[in-house]
Amino acid sequence: MKTIIINGSPKGEGGNTHIFASHFIKGMGMSCEMRCIVKEDYRSLAEEIENFDSVVFIMPLYVHAMPGIVMKLLEHMKTLELGNRSMGFIIQSGFTEPAQSRFAKRYFEQVSNRLKYNYLGTVIKGGAAGTYLMPDNMNKKLFTALEELGSYYNKTGQFSEKVIGGFEKNYQMSKRAAMFQQFLNKTGLGNMFWNSMLKKHNAFDRRFDKPFSRTIKGS
Amino acid sequence: MRTMIIREFGDYSSQDSYLYDLAQQPVKDCTGCWSCWWRTPGRCIHKDLNEFYKEYLKADKVTIFSKLSLGFVSGNLKTLFDRLIPMALPYIEYSTGESMHLPRYDKYPEIEVYYEGEFVNQDEELLYKDYLARVFYQFHISLNLVKPVSDYNGGC
Repeated sequence: MKTIIINGSPKGEGGNTHIFASHFIKGMGMSCEMRCIVKEDYRSLAEEIENFDSVVFIMPLYVHAMPGIVMKLLEHMKTLELGNRSMGFIIQSGFTEPAQSRFAKRYFEQVSNRLKYNYLGTVIKGGAAGTYLMPDNMNKKLFTALEELGSYYNKTGQFSEKVIGGFEKNYQMSKRAAMFQQFLNKTGLGNMFWNSMLKKHNAFDRRFDKPFSRTIKGS
Repeated sequence: MRTMIIREFGDYSSQDSYLYDLAQQPVKDCTGCWSCWWRTPGRCIHKDLNEFYKEYLKADKVTIFSKLSLGFVSGNLKTLFDRLIPMALPYIEYSTGESMHLPRYDKYPEIEVYYEGEFVNQDEELLYKDYLARVFYQFHISLNLVKPVSDYNGGC
């Protein structure tokens, strides 16, 4: 079974999606064609995908769905005549709770049906914004799961329900977790990631700027 | 009342409305750099929407004429949504029981959407509407209506 991996991140090889893809392929235990949409022409990439039995899209969640560039690639894909090819999706979000990706998941099933591909499913991973910043030992659990996903896929051509279930364990944020996060915000410990990056870029003082405000500054 | 029209099809316009024609002026894709949150707060590295942002925040109502694409919002409109993140703060709060970005501005326009194209089944229509509702909820914007363009009566 020939598979092509499509990296749907606008950051290409420089982001969390690439890290996800690398570990999925490592788990597959074989070399695998991988392309970044951001570096390709939509039309020729869409045509190339037709040469494979299976396509796995890996991407970040953008505004509750796929990044614009992923939708633009899908728009260039042809509807199949024979239902002998498969399509699967892996989506990772900064938001902690996987439920934030539920609209994307619903759409991926629909678009697979529209284009007449067998739908392999959607793997959702929440809380992934800082993956690229963290030392490998802190990502160990994530990497192991992604490798298991790749290995299972290579053996069966399917996504592992076990791995999907593991990622979706806290699908919605529990009331207690939301209250705890809200408490952290009050203590100033919440949103530490954003504050540290704002400070790093000397932009902390400007964090609430309203550059396109309807009122004139200072008035 | 100040109004704005964003259109992907047709020739809808109004004398007093700011017009953004997505079919003629595709928006540059978000690069995922997060500059608008942590380097130049509120400003995107792309400048192509600077005038749009100003007009958008001045408007009381924005009418979007959305061309359905594979039963969903088109890639061009999705890119425009991706480029709305400078309108929000990176900060997240949890008072509703889920993660929600805080708004950057005090006031946003109300939105109405008219779409052109067919859904192949009810699930598609439901998802399109649920999805739009979710996007504008996340951006603290009220979405007043989502209807087929045949129901459009000139915005009166």
